[in-house]
Amino acid sequence: MSIRSLLIRGVTFLGGVYFFLKFVLPESTGFATYHEQISDGFVLVGAMALALGLINLLMVHGGKVLYRRKGWAPSVALLVGLIAMMVVTSLDWRETRKISASVQRITTLKDFADRIVLDASKGIVPEIAGEKLPPTVRKRYLLDALRPLASDLHTERQTLLLVVAEDSRASNLTLQRFNNEFSSALADTERLLALEEKQGEDFEPSGLQQLSQALSTLGVSFRGLSTAVYGESLVKHLYSFLFEGLFISLGAAMFSLLGFYISAAAYRAFRVKSVESVLMMTAALFVMLGQIPFGLWISESLPEIRLWLLEVPSAGAAQAIDMGASLAGLVMAFRMWLSIESESFK
Amino acid sequence: MGGFEHATPGILVLICLLIGPVLYYIRIARQGRDLYVRRIAGVDAIDEATGRSAELGRPISFSTGLTSITPALYACLGVLFYVARKAARYNSKLLVPQNDPQVVAVVEDTLRDAYRTEGKPELFDSRSVVFLSEDQFAFAAGYMGMVQREQVATAFLFGVFAAESLMLAEAGQQIGAMQVAASLTPEQVPYFICTCDYTLIGEELYGAAAYLTREPIQLGSLYGQDRAKLVFVILIVVGVGIATYNSFAAVYGMAPLPNITEWIRVTDWSFSAAG
Repeated sequence: MSIRSLLIRGVTFLGGVYFFLKFVLPESTGFATYHEQISDGFVLVGAMALALGLINLLMVHGGKVLYRRKGWAPSVALLVGLIAMMVVTSLDWRETRKISASVQRITTLKDFADRIVLDASKGIVPEIAGEKLPPTVRKRYLLDALRPLASDLHTERQTLLLVVAEDSRASNLTLQRFNNEFSSALADTERLLALEEKQGEDFEPSGLQQLSQALSTLGVSFRGLSTAVYGESLVKHLYSFLFEGLFISLGAAMFSLLGFYISAAAYRAFRVKSVESVLMMTAALFVMLGQIPFGLWISESLPEIRLWLLEVPSAGAAQAIDMGASLAGLVMAFRMWLSIESESFK
Repeated sequence: MGGFEHATPGILVLICLLIGPVLYYIRIARQGRDLYVRRIAGVDAIDEATGRSAELGRPISFSTGLTSITPALYACLGVLFYVARKAARYNSKLLVPQNDPQVVAVVEDTLRDAYRTEGKPELFDSRSVVFLSEDQFAFAAGYMGMVQREQVATAFLFGVFAAESLMLAEAGQQIGAMQVAASLTPEQVPYFICTCDYTLIGEELYGAAAYLTREPIQLGSLYGQDRAKLVFVILIVVGVGIATYNSFAAVYGMAPLPNITEWIRVTDWSFSAAG
């Protein structure tokens, strides 16, 4: 046996031992503690394989195009599609990350406000680098962070709306709705901020609770506004065109072929040639008639007969096939694990 | 209750009952004992189908559908190995369209081995293993185009299939190819029966390679799993009996029997709990 073959068998066996033990040993043994980390390892290997696949794809099809080998034109289409999708998806990812980062700034402050109220209710006073942080101090930090945020959001709103053309702004109802909601939420936040500032060192939990609610609405409306504005951008239009316009439509076109193929196949299947085909034809007739209102008009028992045919004989046969295939699959898996391979694969 | 995501002692016992006969019959087969396997028309047709391709001078296509690296793939590879050897012997062109990039590498290796075993390694062309797409319908479109362009004489559809099964089989039907299919998914079996000349159902796919090659390991494995299946048949019969008795017991006020599946669910490894 070659070293290569020995190595493959050894790694296969050890991998099998790990998964088998993970499956059979009781959870109390703690064997599965590291399972998540090991599973992450598989994801990493998959990611590396993806990168290798990409390089391979570029080499194979790039070579075809460069040397004008047979079938170079479809390779051009493939490379153009690949690059276009990668660029557009990367831009889309960057934009959605930008939106999430802005929203995160709002939600972090909202969470901070909630935490101050919660800690105050439990009497917890956190300490950082020897300095005690009572609610009044933490409230000051919160307000210090909120002031520039409110000002930044005004600027961001102006910038966002400038990106969208005047006519799109007028026709996009979602954008208008989120713009109004955002303006109102921002005004509300600023009003509560001013009130809190007026209170100075006094700490009133209900005031911070209201501020937290306002920040929550602000975050939602800002995400809505940013997404609506992004929806008007060239990148989003390109992404929608490539993904929804081309990819999904082509898939749907292929799927729709099934309707015609099922008719053709049914026509062939329903040619009555033997006793079995008569039985199948009769069963199919009951199932089809039981499915439609016309069947109910003929007899009220047809839907019940249909259900019985599907749930008893048909499901029973399907389960028998499943059971046989699963058992055979399990045996094959054991053979693979123990490297009891047929002569063909040695 | 741990459910079925983790083994219970009952499941461990079932695994042993399943694997024991398999290992035993593999040993018996290796000792040279003749093991009978019933005739499967679809498997017999594989020779006829490969011969037809040679006579017509048109290619053979062999698709493993959406099968990924699973035990089912190895069952398919056993048949592919046999078909590839036949193709090498008759100098027939063999096309293996693929949906999974990982499977491509395994299939390439299998084909190379088959051509080498047949003593014609120079006939192996790595371009015969075509990666079409990982997307189900893009794969189907690629497959349909390929069989139409190449006018394949014979199409083998072995493995796991989903909604694209009928598209693949209809493409072959339209060009008059002889088609042999084997589906592990019961939902796709009727489509293959309607459109293919022969269809192997469920576990027959696992038995096909054993039937074709008559290799001791494959034959012993097939024999063993059939014997092991008896355990499950007995469990089903006993379970049905108990369920029937319990339904009568409920009506006539008799004491019910314990449910047979309960001992499989017991998760206590001290064997002290009873469900």
